[in-house]
Amino acid sequence: MDFTLSNEQRVWQMTARKFAEEEIRPISLERDAIADARETFDWEIIKKGSRLGFRTMAVPKEWGGHGTDFVTQALVMAELAKADSAISKTFSQCWKWSHLIAVACSEEQKRRFLRPFLEDDTFLLGKGISEPSAGSDNRLPPEDPKAGLKLKAERHGDHWILNGEKCFIANASVGKLFFIDARTDPNAPLRQGTTMFLVPRDTPGMRIGKVFNKSGWRFYQNGEMIFENARVPHANVVGAVNGSDMKTHAAGDRTGGDLFGDLELAANALGVCDDACALALTLARMKTQGGRALFEQQLIQLKLNKMHLLTEALRSFVMRVAWEHDHKVRSANAGLCMNFSTDVIQEVTELNLDLHVGAGVLDRRAEKLVRDAIIWSHLAGDSVQRMKATRRLA
Amino acid sequence: MYSLHLSPEQLQIRDTVRDFVAREIKPLALEAARLEASARPLLLQAIAKASHIGLRTLALSEDLGGASADNLTCCIVTEELAVGDADVAAVLGQTSTLARALFESLMTAEQRARFLPAFLADHGYHVAFAEHEEGRDATLGINYHRPQASGPRFSTAAVRTGDEWIINGRKDRVVGASIAALFVVRASMGGDRAATLLVSRNTPGLTVTADEASRRWRHGACGTLIFENCRVPAENRLAADAARFADQGRRIPQEEALALGIGRAAFEAALDYAQLRVQGGRPLIEHQAIGAKLAEIAARLEVARAAIWLAAWASDHPDAFADRSLPDLPLTTIADVFAREAIYGVAKDAAECFGAMGVMRDIPLQKYVQDARICLRSGMGSSEAKLRIAEALARYRRPASAAVLAAE
Repeated sequence: MDFTLSNEQRVWQMTARKFAEEEIRPISLERDAIADARETFDWEIIKKGSRLGFRTMAVPKEWGGHGTDFVTQALVMAELAKADSAISKTFSQCWKWSHLIAVACSEEQKRRFLRPFLEDDTFLLGKGISEPSAGSDNRLPPEDPKAGLKLKAERHGDHWILNGEKCFIANASVGKLFFIDARTDPNAPLRQGTTMFLVPRDTPGMRIGKVFNKSGWRFYQNGEMIFENARVPHANVVGAVNGSDMKTHAAGDRTGGDLFGDLELAANALGVCDDACALALTLARMKTQGGRALFEQQLIQLKLNKMHLLTEALRSFVMRVAWEHDHKVRSANAGLCMNFSTDVIQEVTELNLDLHVGAGVLDRRAEKLVRDAIIWSHLAGDSVQRMKATRRLA
Repeated sequence: MYSLHLSPEQLQIRDTVRDFVAREIKPLALEAARLEASARPLLLQAIAKASHIGLRTLALSEDLGGASADNLTCCIVTEELAVGDADVAAVLGQTSTLARALFESLMTAEQRARFLPAFLADHGYHVAFAEHEEGRDATLGINYHRPQASGPRFSTAAVRTGDEWIINGRKDRVVGASIAALFVVRASMGGDRAATLLVSRNTPGLTVTADEASRRWRHGACGTLIFENCRVPAENRLAADAARFADQGRRIPQEEALALGIGRAAFEAALDYAQLRVQGGRPLIEHQAIGAKLAEIAARLEVARAAIWLAAWASDHPDAFADRSLPDLPLTTIADVFAREAIYGVAKDAAECFGAMGVMRDIPLQKYVQDARICLRSGMGSSEAKLRIAEALARYRRPASAAVLAAE
């Protein structure tokens, strides 16, 4: 086994580390503290990161992107997340769907959408699945055609007319292009009756509703998208009508599920854990009681031990999954790693906060990490996500 | 004999408070603006109404004008109030039990005559305890199972000049600071001796400020007291000093009951939602994964309540330690170490039942998580609590000079 990084991987990692420390970390807490969920976003950091390639790094080279491998992507996500988990996620959200464009879109669609995406530092991507009455039903769809998403698409000549509502949609308030899942056959079960559409921001009949007020991940924009007779050209259908789950088919990986997304959350968690470990270790060395560093106390050492062993175990798992993705190894590991990252990020950030509180220190960053980590329960580690990963084993 | 039958009076008080919380507190506490941690001024009207139904003077003896509620009853009431609002529960709980300690055992007859009439006459009259100081934690930590170096207990100093005490210093994390009429202030008198002084709110030299940091450490809309040559009459010193504050390991588990109320509010919300929300073709609770999660939440709440009630009952019956009915252990610390962590887990799991909405600040679940996290902070912390229990297990006794600190 060789854990050595290539020079190219190392360069990406170091560039990300420098950008994260010098540009992201200084604005992380101030963005987190903004009370209005709509105002937490900062275009400057996106533009700066985009110029360094962090927005487009997953686009294949033949289309003018950087064509980085999964190992590099995991390294960069972790480095960016070390400074701010939500800002890292805003960049990697673009990789997630640029993977999809590259794999699933037609040449013509790539020309129309990939090119402007590459040219514009403020071009962000999003994907709309969740609806007010359909969350878990989209993740683990029951046979009943009535279950799952309801956004309706009806064909009228060369156009589709979309009606309905999406919620919690990532980058909703800032994105320029969205992949929207809509029901095109109301009588079929979800997987057989849903079509994916490319929906540009300026689509007539589509508007953005509220931005959700999350406990953590404040920078990351999750919003409502409202469709009232929204007109989308037929040319914007991704793949085949009634074939929205083709992203996984096309990626050639039925076992990894959402090939990139599972790795994404796990790698992001790793960065947060690294930050928490560093904060905790600094505290234990610098803070004293009775003239002696907290580090000297057994209970402090045991907590630091738990934080580090979990973080290093997660690092091993994340890098293995990234390597497996690069080598097209099929397994349930991506899902399991994502589930595991939930347990790890929450325990590690809680332990860090606990160490600070125990030392009488009210640390806003330690609190932020715990709030950021809470979203993993829903995205990566709720019972549905765990069962979904398990079913890949069966 | 230990019995879990509540008396008719206890049942009636519980029902009354539960009804009061549903009508008078919940509608206010769950207003959208209050779901943000930074936007939670004390619910003064609800606190005043609670006083009118006797909750401010609940623990005070009937002879003195209260309801003579025992510690178990006080814990039951605190839990009920905290289901509605943690700050309201903290303020009323403090005033009720601190007033009992003050007026029944710590004050002289002369002091009682000076302060009691005003306390009884004014529904807005609250008392508050000021002990904590920034950077001076009374933690065992490095001193576990070792004698501690003695020194000034508090950086807040009280110096006797003529027939006055002159106080200088700063106290933070004072529960109910914004509304208390009388503060019970702990200060150093030089050496390792400490004094407890009664300081009226309007005393010149005392400034009360609401500060954000204090509120993040404790429930009760906490604030900071700043003393600058604050002069109080010599007769404001409490003579019976140590009595009230000795043996924190067996004190009334009121803060733990407060945490329990927060956990119950989260549980009740999750249980309702799990029965309403349909995914996978059936209500959430009919799915094994969610059913088992709710069961675990219920189990943690019940075990926490059992530990809290045992500690409360024990604090009402100290003779039960002497006659060997109860183990010679700090039962309140034991309830504390279990309850605070269990209830934080309860709040997080309850939020998880709500899916993506569970992470939003627009519904109360994240408020409950935050409130439960504050409960983790407001106590001594689980490591510290375990060290104290361990010292008790080993029957460790500190040399006399250091014993005062350890007793607290």
